[in-house]
Amino acid sequence: MDDRTREYLRGRFGDYYRDTSLSPPPGANEREWGHIPWTPGSGTTMVRHQSLLDLGNLEAFFRETAPRHAYFSAARYDDPGVSTMGKKGWRRADLVFDLDADHLPSVDPEAATYAEMLAACKDALQRLLVFLEDDFGFENLQIVFSGGRGYHVHVRDEAVLELDSEARREIVDYVRAIDLDVDGLIRTEQERGTTKRVLRTEGGWGRRVHEALVEYADDLRELDEDDALDRLRELDGIGEGRAKTILGAFRRNPDAVREGNLEAGGPGVRRLVSALCAQVTADRTAPVDEPVTTDTHRLIRVPGTLHGGSGLEVCRIPRTELDAFDPLVDAVPDRFTGRTIAITCAEETTVELNGDAVMVEAGTNTVPEYVGVFLMARGDASKAPER
Amino acid sequence: MDSLYARYPFFEAAREAVAGADVSLPALVAADAPAVERGRERVERALRSGTTASETPDAYDAKAELLSYPIARILVSLLESNAAVEKYASAEAATAADRIRADLDREDTLRSTDEVSLELSDVLREFDLDDAVRPAVPAAGGGSRDGGPGPAGPRASRSARDPEWFRIDVAPYLRLSDPDWGDRWRLVNRELRDGAVRIDRADLERCLERAVRSRVLEGLPFEFAADDGIGSDLEAHVADLRRLLDERATVGGFDVVVPELFPPCMRNLIDKAEREAALSPPESLALMAFLTAIGMSPDEIVAFCADTSLDAEGIRYQTEYLRDEAGAQYPPPTCETLSAYGICHNEDDHWQVAGDPLAYYEARLADAEDVVDWRDRNDVAEAT
Repeated sequence: MDDRTREYLRGRFGDYYRDTSLSPPPGANEREWGHIPWTPGSGTTMVRHQSLLDLGNLEAFFRETAPRHAYFSAARYDDPGVSTMGKKGWRRADLVFDLDADHLPSVDPEAATYAEMLAACKDALQRLLVFLEDDFGFENLQIVFSGGRGYHVHVRDEAVLELDSEARREIVDYVRAIDLDVDGLIRTEQERGTTKRVLRTEGGWGRRVHEALVEYADDLRELDEDDALDRLRELDGIGEGRAKTILGAFRRNPDAVREGNLEAGGPGVRRLVSALCAQVTADRTAPVDEPVTTDTHRLIRVPGTLHGGSGLEVCRIPRTELDAFDPLVDAVPDRFTGRTIAITCAEETTVELNGDAVMVEAGTNTVPEYVGVFLMARGDASKAPER
Repeated sequence: MDSLYARYPFFEAAREAVAGADVSLPALVAADAPAVERGRERVERALRSGTTASETPDAYDAKAELLSYPIARILVSLLESNAAVEKYASAEAATAADRIRADLDREDTLRSTDEVSLELSDVLREFDLDDAVRPAVPAAGGGSRDGGPGPAGPRASRSARDPEWFRIDVAPYLRLSDPDWGDRWRLVNRELRDGAVRIDRADLERCLERAVRSRVLEGLPFEFAADDGIGSDLEAHVADLRRLLDERATVGGFDVVVPELFPPCMRNLIDKAEREAALSPPESLALMAFLTAIGMSPDEIVAFCADTSLDAEGIRYQTEYLRDEAGAQYPPPTCETLSAYGICHNEDDHWQVAGDPLAYYEARLADAEDVVDWRDRNDVAEAT
């Protein structure tokens, strides 16, 4: 990045912060703060181990420093400004989840457009929220667009703040279905001397598989006999005999399936449950980035600040506005929408932002400022002199 | 009340009773009161046998029993060994868990007035879990649904046939369980919904055991000022316990499994289990401690006991407790202790050879020639 571009961005980030009131996180004075300044050269040196006291007035700090990137710790400490982790005195930490397009199995970062990546990430976020809200029953959630390639969720329910790293790993493994014991989804119950195999329907992955099974059984009952048997035989390990047993049981006693009772379905039911389980886990897991959640000393972007690699706002998204949220529109800072600027691009490109697709040619262009800031922050353009 | 505190001296109210009573621990120590001897026994039994229950419970009144707990905490702190502190806390927790189970299982009608009255709701309240744990009441027609709020443990709903289910909030569940306890303890394999995990009574009791362990560990080890008089008054006891610690640390170390050379008491226990007879808790503890101490892994012990009345889950549960993080083991009880439980009968006058099963086995191994490890025999059998 050349000096002109860097000075321009730093100046405009400063202007942004002059207009913006940051609302600090709870316990801001117990957190470690860090930032990456607009320094010349390619190096990105983070200034960290700072307390709020070191920064002084938060808003004045942002106005004057206008950092390229800004972070605070998920953790709260006795003494956040001390330079070694061991001496900070860890007290508690928000439970943080990070969904990043780079980690989504469904996204090829080489081929997908920025908009496609963010859409896939938002789908994953919705799946994550189902776990956090329905399974875990968390109530104090803050959803944040990272300004880059994904989303963060900060959970601040009192009960989770003191969980250690191992407990947080259990939560990650739960939402990613890691080490899920498929056979264990079926439990054997003793009833008057006879055993009965039942699905664990009272929550967790068992409940999800059970929902899929009920739906599958309903679908089968809609089909005629031959189609239903064919559909069952598509599954690994299910031949004609087992298919007939399963279908017979589903037709004879639909309530048994609804109650999770698998006994009448014969040995093929286990295969059916495994197949449905594979499908359910593939469709419903949320591929969160594990180390972010398990590292209880992690630094995370400050909501309300600008992302130095995109010029987009790291924005909090109220839960009720999530469905309608479009990062490529809603995260464009108002400060950068009022005027055009001159930039120089090496290659032609198209930028989809703020509801428009803007064509940029190789050479010098005059573009809406937010497009120019976006390309310059990404390193795809440099500032051209205004005529 | 005293008898409840004597049984559960780590309860907050017991601590307050000690603080409020007109006794000074240094004075007790200086006078070598019965509580001091019992405190020493608590630590010794914890290190030797994984329990803190007295071998001679009638020798101590409730007050001595209660006061022996803070004395034991001082003693174990003076040992200056983290392994000893951990072992001690685990032993207090295991003993408490046995007592909680016994006190809760006892039918109300059979209780005499001088016996301790304890409800599950008391234990939950003690650990601030009364809001976090709720009974899950089975619904009519299969499946189950949540019960209403309120303290857990309505005895009326318990029947011998139905397992009793609870729902525990997920954060305390994670705090009081350990994914290393086995696959079914992993959160991913649990029925989690609306912030709570469904667990049965046995699992809840295991979580409570962990809660006791954490409570006992709080504040341990104490720091003593160099000139603290209590340390010098307890010097003789500490020296005994430290010797025990050293001695125990050097036992074992052999890693060869030759069932033919096992001491008679262990052979008896294996024979009994092979006849499909249930072993009593001290019997199975003695056997598991022995098998663990000679270097067998939980998997190997499960395989070794495949044709016995011992179930795999129970074996894993017990052996996990017997292994400590440093890789050392709880030593099995001595022959003398075993004889108190009716397990060792000094067969062939073997106390002349050695006073504990490990030393006896070690001596027989040293005398034997051409031994083939049972595990190697097993491998051969599987390969053919």
